[in-house]
Amino acid sequence: MSNLAVLPIIIPLIAGIILAFFPKKLVLIRFLTKVFSIINLVTVSYITWTVFTSGSIIMETGGWDAPFGIVLVADSLAILLVFTTNILAVACAFYAPYSLTDRKEQYYFYSFFFFLISGVSGAFLTGDLFNLFVFFEVLLMASYALIVLGGEKVQLQESIKYVLINLFSSILFVTAIAFLYSVVGTVNMAQIAQRVQDVEQQGILTTIGILLFFVFATKAALFPLYYWMPKSYFVPNPVISALFGALLTKVGIYSIIRVFSLIFVYKIDLTHEMFIWIAGLSMIFGIIGALSTNNIKLIVAYNIIPAIGFILMGIGIFNEDSMSGSVYYLIHDMLIKTALFLIVGTITYVAGTSDLRKFSGLIHYYPLLGWLLFVAAFVLAGIPPFSGFIGKLLLLKGALSSGEIAIVIIGLLSSLLILYSIMKIFIKGFWGEKDESLEHKSTKGLIAPIVFLLSLSVMLGIGAEFVYPSIESISAYLLNPEVYIDSVLKE
Amino acid sequence: MIYIVLIPLLLACFIPFISKFKDKIHTGIFVFIIPFTIFLYFIRFIGNEFSPIHQTYKWIPSLDINFNFYLDGLSLLFVLLISGIGALVVLYSIYYLDNSERLGHFYVYLIMFMAAMLGVVLSDNIFVLYTFWELTSISSFLLIGYWHFNERSRYGAMKSMLITIFGGLSMFGGFILLSVITGTTSIQAMIAQADIILDSKYLPLILGFILLGAFTKSAQFPFHIWLPDAMEAPTPVSAYLHSATMVKAGLFLVARFSPIFSGYEWFFIIVSIAGIVTLCWGSYMAVRQTDLKAILAFSTISQLGMIMAMLGFGTKIAVFAAVFHILNHATFKGSLFMVAGIVDHETGTRDIRKLGGLLTFMPMTATLALFGTFSMAGVPLPFLNGFYSKELFFDSAIHLTEGISGTASFLIQVIPYLAVLGSIFTFVYSLYFFFGVFRGKTQLNQLPKKPHEAPFGMLISPIVLVLGVILIGLFPNLVNGTFIAHAAESVYGSEVVKELKFWHGIDSTAFQMSLVVVGIGTILVSTRKKWNGVYKLLPGKLSFNKAYDWLISMLDVYSNRITRSYMTGSIRFYFAAILATTLVVTFTFMFVTNGFTIQFNELAEVTIVEIAVVLLMIAAAIGTIFTKHNVAAILTVGVVGYGVAILFVIYRAPDLALTQLVIETVSVALFLLCFYHLPKLEKNDETLSTKTINIFISVGFGTLLTLIAIASHSTNSFNKISDYFIETSHSLGGGDNVVNVILVDMRGLDTLFEIAVLGIAALAIYSMINLRNNKEEK
Amino acid sequence: MEIIISILAGTLFATGIYNLLQKQLLRIIIGTVLLSHGAHLFILTMGKLKTGAPPILIEGVNEYTDPLPQALILTSIVISFGITSLLLVLAYRTVNENNTDNMEQLRGNEHE
Repeated sequence: MSNLAVLPIIIPLIAGIILAFFPKKLVLIRFLTKVFSIINLVTVSYITWTVFTSGSIIMETGGWDAPFGIVLVADSLAILLVFTTNILAVACAFYAPYSLTDRKEQYYFYSFFFFLISGVSGAFLTGDLFNLFVFFEVLLMASYALIVLGGEKVQLQESIKYVLINLFSSILFVTAIAFLYSVVGTVNMAQIAQRVQDVEQQGILTTIGILLFFVFATKAALFPLYYWMPKSYFVPNPVISALFGALLTKVGIYSIIRVFSLIFVYKIDLTHEMFIWIAGLSMIFGIIGALSTNNIKLIVAYNIIPAIGFILMGIGIFNEDSMSGSVYYLIHDMLIKTALFLIVGTITYVAGTSDLRKFSGLIHYYPLLGWLLFVAAFVLAGIPPFSGFIGKLLLLKGALSSGEIAIVIIGLLSSLLILYSIMKIFIKGFWGEKDESLEHKSTKGLIAPIVFLLSLSVMLGIGAEFVYPSIESISAYLLNPEVYIDSVLKE
Repeated sequence: MIYIVLIPLLLACFIPFISKFKDKIHTGIFVFIIPFTIFLYFIRFIGNEFSPIHQTYKWIPSLDINFNFYLDGLSLLFVLLISGIGALVVLYSIYYLDNSERLGHFYVYLIMFMAAMLGVVLSDNIFVLYTFWELTSISSFLLIGYWHFNERSRYGAMKSMLITIFGGLSMFGGFILLSVITGTTSIQAMIAQADIILDSKYLPLILGFILLGAFTKSAQFPFHIWLPDAMEAPTPVSAYLHSATMVKAGLFLVARFSPIFSGYEWFFIIVSIAGIVTLCWGSYMAVRQTDLKAILAFSTISQLGMIMAMLGFGTKIAVFAAVFHILNHATFKGSLFMVAGIVDHETGTRDIRKLGGLLTFMPMTATLALFGTFSMAGVPLPFLNGFYSKELFFDSAIHLTEGISGTASFLIQVIPYLAVLGSIFTFVYSLYFFFGVFRGKTQLNQLPKKPHEAPFGMLISPIVLVLGVILIGLFPNLVNGTFIAHAAESVYGSEVVKELKFWHGIDSTAFQMSLVVVGIGTILVSTRKKWNGVYKLLPGKLSFNKAYDWLISMLDVYSNRITRSYMTGSIRFYFAAILATTLVVTFTFMFVTNGFTIQFNELAEVTIVEIAVVLLMIAAAIGTIFTKHNVAAILTVGVVGYGVAILFVIYRAPDLALTQLVIETVSVALFLLCFYHLPKLEKNDETLSTKTINIFISVGFGTLLTLIAIASHSTNSFNKISDYFIETSHSLGGGDNVVNVILVDMRGLDTLFEIAVLGIAALAIYSMINLRNNKEEK
Repeated sequence: MEIIISILAGTLFATGIYNLLQKQLLRIIIGTVLLSHGAHLFILTMGKLKTGAPPILIEGVNEYTDPLPQALILTSIVISFGITSLLLVLAYRTVNENNTDNMEQLRGNEHE
């Protein structure tokens, strides 16, 4: 029964390996990709259902009791994120064949894709800090492979920066784990959390915590560590950007949620207060970045930063509303960012350029695409009744009940500017005279995945009643680390 | 009531299908049924006896967001306006927009707006209200941008959206604060707890947030700038959204919340000032306009300001007058917009400089305009409803004393004068509108089309509205007792029914003020050309439009400049910034938390061999910085690597030492292979300052990690879990080499994925080498 | 000795970072190699040095050095190796494609 927890990691791993054996048989590969991604989604749905009905699934790999072996902890938060990841994976699996060139597909795109999913799921599920590092490396390695896929000049130039910065933060990660091991004598997260409470000299622990925060913040693309992000999300194919935008930064912010709700919770006035500041700065600079460019892919890429800022803000405030808000926002942002990247990817494809100054009046040819973008803009900005609204409402409510007025004002203003940055694409790109010179391209197969993701996003807002109670319980669970510790260590 | 709001939203989705048949029958005819039915549904609530109706439908109960519909006097007034004017506007649009337009889109937006607006005025739940509020902004955006091939339409749409959504978000902030303080999301429940809100330290913030929402939506100074640009929308839309209904949502909001805030001095001060300034500025600016719709837009702004001011006064008469004027304004301004539309439609221009003398061509339209403009001007005639509300406005402006003291008392002195000033200009532009279009010289050669009377269908709607003007004027008490009084009551809190009389006697101050307005107004109208120059002084070059444009362009310019300044693309800069931040913050934390400790017990002893190895490694590491030759550099790095291996041997890690040796050798080989193709190392040619920064960051970081390492090492009070591994390695793991047992058994998952990483790396390298850009065929 | 090794590891980090802040791709890569050596030494030190025999069980020996850090280092070494190889090939391709190994010339701001 508890072995279920490993399936979301193993299925994509196996899928990736199988697909690597016959890279040239594209028809078969595409078919298998869809099959595997659906199998995985179904499996994960079942696990999710199990977790939400009968509690966390703890799997002790190799039969070694926690804290000695590696444990996989499929608790409500982790499994919810794995579930969302797999939804995105399915959408991307269906989008990819229409968007990628055959050559890219032949060079193991689908294998890397599955390895990425495997790494991401592993990072969500693991209950062991060093194992988290390993899964980080899996997903990063897959992302390195994906980002250079195609090997164009710009791609290489941006990917080398991406690899270097991530490599550095990985090295720092291992080092921080080592320090932590020295202080508490373990790498199991539950046990670390348990022991941390008894450490006499907590100062050094906080310092190590901050080091870890910077490691995760670099991956999460928070201010001022996100230099690597916008350009490297802009160079690859839209599917890849979508996967990156939806998953990579989210793994970083997930790790922050995990570590700073479970382990480093004894100095909240210092650490979490700083998060609020960083969150505010991320919102400000992220949105400034999004407004600074006419490149539609970059606009969306920059929009990741304020979103991460919003999630971090919830962690910084650290009360029940704000944590629910963070989790809600996290799920929402994974869906909508994928959708948006796919949308701008499609726009770039049909317009032949991603420069907003070079096309207009697309709505005459692609009305559906235009309206999808329009809705996506409002979803992203958190305009009701869409999903962003619920998350934002919870976050702001949490902030206001803790008296954090400044961050609320920043949050509201950045919402407006987020909307502005996306609506610019709609107004300049879609409205206007019909451009007769534009070659009409088929959007076959590109629209359906977007519609799928966007309707989920909309449902997440309108149908909040079905989702919110679970999110609320996750938040209560996160604020009470004892539950996690006890369930893993079985005490 | 939920059906009233949601069914139109659903029906809106079907409109595009109906519009497929637009060649045979105009889509508007079907659409007309929707508002008209709603109007009929609500009209039955009119009557002397009325008590509020409450209905609740669940939506997100766990967040306390439900469709709590609340129909009281105020919402009834608005509902009737929305559906009534809505029906008339749809009727009008049938003749205004012909089949060549994208009618499907138009009516979808329009009905969506109508449903949203109904939602706004019927919702008692603040978050549902907010939802509908934003939906009105969105549909307004779409309607303004309806003719989106016009640059002006796009500009106007964006502007209106930015300003109204800005206000909406601010209002949202205020709502959240209210719900946090009161623990409820129902407005009525909040009103019941008004004292908690009034005692809260957040009161100024709440008020500010909510008023920003109201002021932006209702185009109050200085947020009025979006409304004139919103006139790019088709005229039926201007008549409906931007005059009769949507822009009054802000008034509705203030009215709704005034039972809570009316006891708060700053509510009076801010709302009155905003209102009265808007009144004066709007009417002053209206006189300058040359586009008929622009005149009407500024006139709307000023009238909204007047109502806002009265809501701010908060006295019994003022509230009553405000509510009354909401109705009156909708009737005469609605008809005037339609008139402007007819003129535009039949002559091809809305430029008042080209128009003139149309009375002979369009007598019917002219008559309608006459009633509309004179009512707006507040000409003292018993069949013009505008006069009554203007009279009440003056009345309330001079009877402000009840319950006001302190800072606000200065205002009381000024307000009556400003009220008269604003009304004078109102008089001027009203007459300017009428006489400019319908009297004077005809300039047929200036007109794109030969003018003639509009088709009867187009005239129905304005006729109905003008009949409203006249009927309310003749029998004001007909509407008063039946629903205006109910509306005023729900704002004011207690009974306000007031007999309306036309004649208050010659010695009534309000009447004398009216006479002043008419007198000075007439003079100004006839001498308009002579004082037109004042507009060069005020606003002159200053205008809030320019401020908005400036702000938007600054947003573009500065965001670009700021972002470029740090997103330089230089990896060195990125690293420097990331490292410096991490360094400074972590150091600060270590310092603040007293994180550093050091203790010397239990340390391993120091031996000469080790020191020698360490020194060699340090030397080699530093050497890498100075080498200028590829091979030398690789070998120096190799020295460090082999040094690590030796240390592994010394520190009893045989497996590691072996692995390290193998990997190091392979790495060096790989390096040599690759570096053979890479350009030669060059001398570091950095400037001294770069060098200093680099040294500072690198040495700082090294020190930081060393200190943390020492401190971590000095605080280990727990048993390591590895004790367990040593104990059980043989018995449970079946191996004597504990490291191996850990790798393949206890931490087998790590090892599995470590191999996966290698595998992915191999695939990645393979595809990187083979998949080259130049071979890519698409 | 732990303190001395910590200082050594710190020095490796310092020199590694100094190399990281250079313009030439080659130096930057050398920097990352030094950094990972430094990290491995930190892990090793954190498990206490020389507290007992190598962690290979032998009858009669009760004190062993901490095996876990060694296991972690092993995993980490392999992973670093993978990344370094990838980085080398990537660097090679980048330099070939762009005809320079100077990172300051690989800024790529033309897409905004």
